[in-house]
Amino acid sequence: MLDFIKDNRKPVITLGLVTVIAYVFYFLDEIKTTSVLVFGWGYAVPLVLAAMVGIIGERTGVVNIGIEGQMLMSAFASFFGSVITGNIYLGMLIGIAAGLIMGGFLAVAAVKWEMDQIIAGVVINIVAAGLTSFFYAPGKTLPQLVPVVSIPILSDIPLIGPVFFRNGIFALATLFIVLAVNFAIFKTRWGLRSRSVGEYPSAADAAGINVTRVRMMNVTLAGALAGCAGAFLALEAAGTFARGLTAGRGFLALAIMIFGAWNPMGALAAALFFGLSTALASQLQADEVINIPQQFVNLLPFVMTLIVLSVAVGRVRPPAAAGQPYTKEG
Amino acid sequence: MKRMRTLAGISILALVLAACSSGTTDTAAEETAAALDDSNCAAAENFCVGLVTDIGKVDDKSFNQSAHEGAMAAAAEVGGFYKYIETTDTKDYAANMGQFTDKSYDVIVTVGFLMAEATVTAAKANPNTKFIGVDQFQAEEVANVTGLIFPEDQAGYGAGYLAGLMTKTNKIGSVLGLEIAPVQLFAKGFEAGAKAANANVAVTTVYHPPADNGFGDPVWGAAEAKKQLAQGADIIFGAGGGTGNGALIEIAKAEGAGTAIFCIGVDTDQWFTVPEAQPCLITSAVKGLTEGTTALVKKAFDGSIAGGNFVGSAGIADYHDFASVVPMDVQDKVAGVVAGLKDGSIKTGVTL
Amino acid sequence: MTLTETKTPNKIGFLVRNQSIVVPIVAIFVAFVLGGILIFLQGVNPLVAYRAIFSEAWFDSDGLLRTFQKTTPLVLAGLAVTVGLRVGLFNIGAQGQLISAALASALAGIYITNLPPILHVLVSLFCGVIVGALWAGIAGVLKAYRGVHEVISTIMLNSIAIGILDYLVSNPFQEPDQSLQRTKKIAETAVLPNIGVIPFGFILALIICLLVSWMLNKTTAGFRFNTVGKNKFAATYAGINMKLMVVTGMLLSGGLAGLGGAIETLGITYRFEPAFNAGLGFDGITIALLARANPLATIPAAILVGTLRAGGASLQFETGIEPEIVDVLLAITLLLVSAPILAKYLFRGKAQKSANVTSGWGN
Repeated sequence: MLDFIKDNRKPVITLGLVTVIAYVFYFLDEIKTTSVLVFGWGYAVPLVLAAMVGIIGERTGVVNIGIEGQMLMSAFASFFGSVITGNIYLGMLIGIAAGLIMGGFLAVAAVKWEMDQIIAGVVINIVAAGLTSFFYAPGKTLPQLVPVVSIPILSDIPLIGPVFFRNGIFALATLFIVLAVNFAIFKTRWGLRSRSVGEYPSAADAAGINVTRVRMMNVTLAGALAGCAGAFLALEAAGTFARGLTAGRGFLALAIMIFGAWNPMGALAAALFFGLSTALASQLQADEVINIPQQFVNLLPFVMTLIVLSVAVGRVRPPAAAGQPYTKEG
Repeated sequence: MKRMRTLAGISILALVLAACSSGTTDTAAEETAAALDDSNCAAAENFCVGLVTDIGKVDDKSFNQSAHEGAMAAAAEVGGFYKYIETTDTKDYAANMGQFTDKSYDVIVTVGFLMAEATVTAAKANPNTKFIGVDQFQAEEVANVTGLIFPEDQAGYGAGYLAGLMTKTNKIGSVLGLEIAPVQLFAKGFEAGAKAANANVAVTTVYHPPADNGFGDPVWGAAEAKKQLAQGADIIFGAGGGTGNGALIEIAKAEGAGTAIFCIGVDTDQWFTVPEAQPCLITSAVKGLTEGTTALVKKAFDGSIAGGNFVGSAGIADYHDFASVVPMDVQDKVAGVVAGLKDGSIKTGVTL
Repeated sequence: MTLTETKTPNKIGFLVRNQSIVVPIVAIFVAFVLGGILIFLQGVNPLVAYRAIFSEAWFDSDGLLRTFQKTTPLVLAGLAVTVGLRVGLFNIGAQGQLISAALASALAGIYITNLPPILHVLVSLFCGVIVGALWAGIAGVLKAYRGVHEVISTIMLNSIAIGILDYLVSNPFQEPDQSLQRTKKIAETAVLPNIGVIPFGFILALIICLLVSWMLNKTTAGFRFNTVGKNKFAATYAGINMKLMVVTGMLLSGGLAGLGGAIETLGITYRFEPAFNAGLGFDGITIALLARANPLATIPAAILVGTLRAGGASLQFETGIEPEIVDVLLAITLLLVSAPILAKYLFRGKAQKSANVTSGWGN
């Protein structure tokens, strides 16, 4: 536990500060604070999951800017999958499968075919947008709702309980997914091999690791998380599908990934930070306290990421071999 | 090998989706026997009706769809031919209308007030074609353009009056699309009506921040509705296309939906267009889009259509399953208010 | 990082320009076939559908004008990405640069008064070009001096531009008396006219295209550009100032994109509306790749894309197929034209190297 805090100093401190401030507000106005936090976390969930997709990919050396398209396709698939099969759980699986398929496509295109990774991502985005618009059928209703589950004991903690532990399946799973991904990347053999592939592929190759296989597997599996994000949006958050449902969240997730220094805990902290600032701005506007134009609040993540990138050169850096196809020499 | 499998997979997926989707527009299915195509619209006995949507589709469960259904019904009734074009780019308004005028269509319905200017320009260039501009207020009268407008504030007022009487927490809210005139009229009418019914009520009004997806952001709508519910609102008005629909669906999921918590739809009777919302949908603030479009198209057919503005009807939809939940005296009061608005004895007092 | 650099130097010059012309043509053909299958699954004869698109776009005078109108910004967006690729930069930010320039030129068209028509148009265009260039320049400076990869910075800048412009156009610069999010109409003196069916902007785009081609192929500056694009190490060794090249490259690229946005505003929309032409940036990428980073080839590529987009409305009118099919067609084209596997498949035996346009985030 202490190790964990030591390794993730910045995110833990940020989260700690946020928690303290949140509780202060909680004493002032229980209901409002809770609802603002719920809004913020709801905003952050798909972003966190999408950021995980990016992190796993880039840590292994594959840049993925097609997360937006993956999420959109999964949202579409999970909604219509639920409608067609009449079962929302099957719909969730179909959504995750869609994410896996698109991840697989990126894997094949960028790793096997050695297509430029950026272009592969762009293609995924355009294809997803075009196909989901083209095949959209109106007037369909979800057969069931995603049940809201309360985790016993945990959900009784004042403030934090209802926000994080009383939610639909994907929202609940997100926190645990982040912890699991963090553990996997930094504490398992799989994580070590993946990271070596992402930092110094020729050395990894020399050590006997099949670079191509690791990259393809990771990118494809990460797609499942994109599937979760998409399924969350369509089934839990909106309860329906609309064209362009993802509305740029995939790109926002890239900013969060970078702002979080390619680190799952960092991404979590970043997503929460931006989610809360959005929620806060919205609440301040509703209360007519101060009117911060929503567009500026939406811009915050992008601007801050650019600043961080420009200022923290060397201290915040991506995996060294991210973006380059690996070709075996000799 | 992998390529083959991927291709096969995609083809199968495409087949499955094609089997149960509507990638084509349904013109073929909706035509009637009388006029089977638009090859000779210029002839007097052929009556061709065209429709151009605003950016968006005819399946948007909202005003594009209502106008489409109205025009289609009118064409069927008079034995005419009907076709529509969905606009994807604001620069294409003129071109899309041009598709119809090139074939000498008799009537063109243009939907949405963003198209107002383009409609007038096209009308002036094509004096023999009748144009019906849905939600397009005609400040100046042009002989062959009829603006189909609605007193949205009246519909909002009626819904708000109901909400003011029904609320137990004295807190109600609205989750809205972009801050444009029709939406503002709905929202301000809602607030005015609520306050008229119940002086103690607090109304929270939130518009979607300006963005391309202002009317198509159900995720935001749902989150906003959830927030307002958590802060004590027990009746929420969802007015803003897909955004509002998201709010309705979220409210329907809430604990107490239908007994202590209600939602109100907009534009058309959303009981039918958004069935997921039925658990909470006590009523909708409706504009008679479909009836108004049908009426005007038929007027164009029999030659009685005139330039200027045609005011359609606005009111509130049926209570459906909630007829037993809304007390009779409340129903009577609301009906009285709606009637008073219609005959002018009650004014909403809303100005923009 | 440096180890891999010497072994796989920046290949963009090699790939995109040495790729045989057969590849784009095959890519387009296959895309049309796959698109045709999708159309067929909807119950429509693909040949009828394609004929609808082309006859509307080329053989109808209004349609032809629209085709030219849509092609013009596409040529410039394609040029923007092309110029970037030549110097080894991948400018995904054409969208943000374009819309910033569009607002700037609209504002110049509205608020600068008392200028004769030609001068007003030139000044407004100039404003647009400058703003587009500067917006891209931010990414250029960040890359040259802080090592921030231009792909990520331009993606961020796209979103930032959209946000800022949305705000500007709903508050300070909103058309008064209108709750619509847009500016007033530009003054008559700032309008770019059409000559018959050909918009003046299209002629301008052609001229610029020739200029860019001349610059890249016949001038010393162009030679430096190409060298940097082919091999960074040879370029540095030859004494070329890399930082200057990067910044200049982005400025030029952004300026071209900006010109596209300015022409669109002054010649077609006559005001600034946020919702205009959201796919232009990505279409530019498709065009640049189809044109294999050859400026002159962006013209036919842009005409193809412009035709598809202009004909889409007629497609729906005549066959009921939804216009989004065009997006799918173009996406498949982009996929095929950028996957070296297609080249490998067509030219088995000829060595085709990897399509490495970018080389990671951190330079």
